Amino acid sequence: MAGFVHLTIDGQGIEVESGTPLIEAAKQAGAEIAHFCYHPKLKPDANCRMCLVEIEKMPKLQTSCSTPAAEGMVVHTASNRVKQAQEGVMSFLLGNHPLDCPECDQGGECQLQDFAHQHSPTLSPFSEEKRVFDKEYFGPLIEKEMNRCVSCLRCVRYCDEVLDVNALGSIDRGTMTQIGGFAHHELDCEFCGGCIQICPVGALTSRLSMYDYRPWQVKKTETICNYCGDGCELTLESINNTVVRTSSKLGTGRNTGDLCVRGFFGYGAIGHKDRLTRPMIRRGNHRLQITWKGAVESAVAALKKIVETHGPGSVGGVISAHCTNEEIYLFQKLLRQGIGTPHVDSSTRYGYVNAITGLHKVFGTTRLARYEDVVGADVLLVFAGEMTETNPIAALKVKEAVRKHNATLIAVDAYTKQSDPFRSHLPRLAKYHLQILQGAESLAIVGLTKALLENPVLSEGDFSPLFLEQVTKSVALFSFEEIHAATGISQEAFSQAAAAYAGATRGVLIFGRAITGSEEGYINVVRLAHLAILAKQVGRPGTGILALASENNAYGAIAMGGLPEYLPGFSPANGAGYTLPGMLDACERGEIKALYLVGENPLRSLPQKNVQAALSKLDLLICQDLFLSETAAIAHVVFPAVSFAEKEGRFTNQEGEVQRVRKAVEPVGNAKTDLEIFSMMGAAIASSSAAGVPAVSFDYANSEAVWREIMATVPDGFHTDSAEAVSQHVAVYAQQAIELAPPVVISKRRNPDEFDLQVGQALFHSGRMSTYASGLTTLLSSAIVLMHPSDSDRMGVEEGEQVTLRAGSGTVCLPVKTSLKVQPGTLFVPEHFSLDVKRLLPLAFDPTTGVPYSTRGRVTVSKQKIS
Amino acid sequence: MVSYEKILTKNMDTPGYMGTLPEYRATGGYTAFEKALKMPPAEIIDIVKKSGLRGRGGAGFPTGVKWSFIPKTHVGQRYLCCNADESEPGTFKDRQLIERDPHQMLEGIGIASYAIGASVAYIYIRGEFDLGAKIIESAIQEAYQAKFFGKNLLGSGFNLEVILHRGAGAYICGEETALLESIEGKRGKPRTKPPFPAVHGLYQAPTVVNNVETLANVPYIINRGAEWYASIGTPKSPGTRIFSVSGHVKRPGNYEVPLGITLREMIYTCAGGIRNDKALKAIIPGGASAAFLTPAHLDTPMDFEAIAQIGSMLGSGGVTVMDEETCMVQAATNLLEFFYHESCGKCTPCREGSSWILQVLHRIERGTGRASDLDLLETLCRRIEGVTVCAFGDAEVAPVLSTLKHFKEEYVAHIEGRGCPFQPNVELVMAH
Repeated sequence: MAGFVHLTIDGQGIEVESGTPLIEAAKQAGAEIAHFCYHPKLKPDANCRMCLVEIEKMPKLQTSCSTPAAEGMVVHTASNRVKQAQEGVMSFLLGNHPLDCPECDQGGECQLQDFAHQHSPTLSPFSEEKRVFDKEYFGPLIEKEMNRCVSCLRCVRYCDEVLDVNALGSIDRGTMTQIGGFAHHELDCEFCGGCIQICPVGALTSRLSMYDYRPWQVKKTETICNYCGDGCELTLESINNTVVRTSSKLGTGRNTGDLCVRGFFGYGAIGHKDRLTRPMIRRGNHRLQITWKGAVESAVAALKKIVETHGPGSVGGVISAHCTNEEIYLFQKLLRQGIGTPHVDSSTRYGYVNAITGLHKVFGTTRLARYEDVVGADVLLVFAGEMTETNPIAALKVKEAVRKHNATLIAVDAYTKQSDPFRSHLPRLAKYHLQILQGAESLAIVGLTKALLENPVLSEGDFSPLFLEQVTKSVALFSFEEIHAATGISQEAFSQAAAAYAGATRGVLIFGRAITGSEEGYINVVRLAHLAILAKQVGRPGTGILALASENNAYGAIAMGGLPEYLPGFSPANGAGYTLPGMLDACERGEIKALYLVGENPLRSLPQKNVQAALSKLDLLICQDLFLSETAAIAHVVFPAVSFAEKEGRFTNQEGEVQRVRKAVEPVGNAKTDLEIFSMMGAAIASSSAAGVPAVSFDYANSEAVWREIMATVPDGFHTDSAEAVSQHVAVYAQQAIELAPPVVISKRRNPDEFDLQVGQALFHSGRMSTYASGLTTLLSSAIVLMHPSDSDRMGVEEGEQVTLRAGSGTVCLPVKTSLKVQPGTLFVPEHFSLDVKRLLPLAFDPTTGVPYSTRGRVTVSKQKIS
Repeated sequence: MVSYEKILTKNMDTPGYMGTLPEYRATGGYTAFEKALKMPPAEIIDIVKKSGLRGRGGAGFPTGVKWSFIPKTHVGQRYLCCNADESEPGTFKDRQLIERDPHQMLEGIGIASYAIGASVAYIYIRGEFDLGAKIIESAIQEAYQAKFFGKNLLGSGFNLEVILHRGAGAYICGEETALLESIEGKRGKPRTKPPFPAVHGLYQAPTVVNNVETLANVPYIINRGAEWYASIGTPKSPGTRIFSVSGHVKRPGNYEVPLGITLREMIYTCAGGIRNDKALKAIIPGGASAAFLTPAHLDTPMDFEAIAQIGSMLGSGGVTVMDEETCMVQAATNLLEFFYHESCGKCTPCREGSSWILQVLHRIERGTGRASDLDLLETLCRRIEGVTVCAFGDAEVAPVLSTLKHFKEEYVAHIEGRGCPFQPNVELVMAH
């Protein structure tokens, strides 16, 4: 049989795929071979020498991690020779080891402990002086105890091979070899925690959970992370109803066991002391804590009055895409059916909705690429230079494709090719890096499309003449010279990149917030869809498009009908509903009298809009949240909700993968799940519903009951990912008239004081929730402004020095951090802290989807005057 | 004293010979390269195979066979690396070849590169060879100017770029895969083999790594033929070899002799015998990595097989001679201090074992050794031998195992006498 080899391991005949390392083949034959440096994710390094086996006809023992199984091999994993060698290696490993298991956090899950029990006599011949390293803190979150290190370099290799960060290396030599950062500098890396997780011993441990647990004491709950749309499986480990650590299991989940800093160090928000624990109502200027019954009755009484007076259309609701599918489904049911209003929206309105509605229109489905397609792609076209920060695990898939499988990466973004020290950066891995001017995405897509159309070989094909004509017309407005001037990219560069993409066997297109959350978001998604069609990189297995989501259930929020455009299952709604900005306008007009906000905080997310004035006109503002947000602080009723760790349900990640969320800890105080709150509200509304409004049942035993209803009512709730379906839909789409507005050309900066400002997500945070996690605030706790060193040098600004950003009459002072990846003339400010910086940015709305755009603007910068 | 024909060191006897290109040309230099460039590469490999030339770096692998391992179907870059990282204690032959007649090596590099299809050749020179580096650098310039290196050499269409790379002081970088890592800018650590450099070498491209002396032999083989070369030395170890003789001899130095002369001839004839006519106690025949021999082995021929048969190796050709007043425990300790200092730390047995063995040796030498220490030393050595990533592990146990084998009574005397009978107040530190 081709591709398989047959060998004998410990007398047992076995067939394995050719290329399988012997250590894995042995596992299949039921023999576990002791090892330290071997790890399935890493290239073999064969440095620990623990996994030696005897292979007949080979004079020396061989390391089973680095020896591939071969036809006819006869392998002994437990012969006397092997046992002696393993005992020898173990004696060397234990010689200098401090044997401080009782105070080591790894105790109980330590490979050295486990294998020592199997391969070492109880007495050691080592009676010399042990080599001692001083204990060191390896940055703010990691403890380094080199006396325990077995020098397997798994941490170093993981940091290089998987993360592409290279923050770790081995320093010094021989028995003094230790793991270190560059030139003994304090570790300043992506803090994914991968080195801690992959360390087989207690050499690298988390300072965040130091001495908090013993591995056998924790309750482990497998669930899905809520910090972005990647959909990573993680294990919440809790003791006494407190999460003390997170971990992940090798090879499991969409993340195949990898985590990012937020997943690994971000659990502190769950049990934060500022969590809301009891319902509250406002009386005058006071908030009173009351019972759930009182709060629900009070809210429903007020709602009922508003509906009776102004009609159901005077009620609106917005839900966060952090909620589960079941919760979002129930929320829209509560509003649409329980109350009868079409005004339902979700936080996907901040941009992700552009991706889904755009892709849906062109392809009829929104599940177009999975991570397997990304890893397996031979060409990747990525419009998301920020991906390593916004969606770190999806970015690992890109890194894997490029670094392990030699995929060609085409990166189109407004970053330089250079990365900051010890940070991964996709442009650095790109074969073709189209470094565009900030805000020039639209014209870059036009440039690529134009280049593709002008390539005689590539534009030939079975496209409908109407489609070709329309797309050609849409890009004909600009010459390559004009596009070059506006984007900074030459015709040649566009041609090369377009040819590479269209020449792919399996091309995958990825885009993120730089597309969906910025001006022309919707139409750019459509333009990219056209590009993929023209390049024939969609509708075939292995090809496709992946839209990155910043929220964990963004896809689910849309699939569950949490927006005015769709009912559950993507069936079109009647179009009467308002979007979030539309609702705020309606509040201001006095049309909407009651607003139900679940995990939504428009005072914070839209500071430029007069949200305060709009909300102050409401007769009823209900806020349901984990913390007392700015908006909750002015609400009439506040319901304390629970975090993802305290509930059951399902999240749908950006691939459209539905995954189970499981309860790890009990809710804090009297907080309840959103599901329970909606059920209570629904029941109360139903029992008091006026004549003519049909009573709808909200009686659900649990999230499973809701899920069963979803599956029964919208069996096709999630799109198909069949390639044929896509091709069929595209064929129909291509026969239709397409409206494509011309791209907007961004004006050039006029003088050197002027900077393009981008506000966005930082690696160490996600929205607001992460700012409650002490592990993450240790790394970044306040706003900074990233500036290219050439600019800071020119302005004479030192690292950490305050500068003043000015736009119109608004000013913000922020400390400078230099960064090589931001282009000269541009600035980046993380969005998680200062509201003020957003006030410097103009606010615009998407003409099709109403998405509010407020992440980019132009500011002048001056050195802070000392007053 | 029988006089042998010198091949590699013949020019050095000419008074005033500086090893410049014109001088080298005057002795027939680069005519072999000119000849080779007109031959099919496979024919050159065949000649070198037939000559029986074996690697002069340590392992003695047949050079032509090594060249033939380069995958013939490989399209793309191939490399030749000249290993000039001569760091084996007691070995100083390459240094002389480099400093006194560098063009022999460069011509050999030219022929070898052409034979294996490498358009880039690196010379990895030991960091401490400051003078050597300067000499090679200027010799390379001369060769470029004379159009022996560069583009379309002698109209053959063959291009060759030769780059000198200076090491930074680690002994392990003389191990061929560590050398490749070092050239790549990485920490000098040996790679796990297979894959061997011929398949995945420098920058993952097929690569041949050859020692300076090996390459210096190649021009003569091309010019004078495989049969001529094979007629020198022994059938399985043909050619001459430059032995670096050091220690308690009257005339330490480099001696180029045909392979197969006896140790006795080397020590007593070439090097003039033991200093002050004392009695011989021990010989290291092939650099610090080779096992100690005793006067009983004096009549063994110095060829690869014969020395291997008596449990040692010809290695790098560094012959260290010790007289009757030398403490064997101290000699082993001295070498272990070197190996302890140079262990790269990559694999467990070598990393942890070297310090452990050294601590036990120190204890014995200090006079606090225990009766059980001899078994312990033996056990530790057996636990390192044959299981490490590279040959360093075997090298570091050789001095201990061989002194234990041949001079066990000295260890016992140290332990029972509570100190070193030769030098009672010896100072010992774990220097790192």
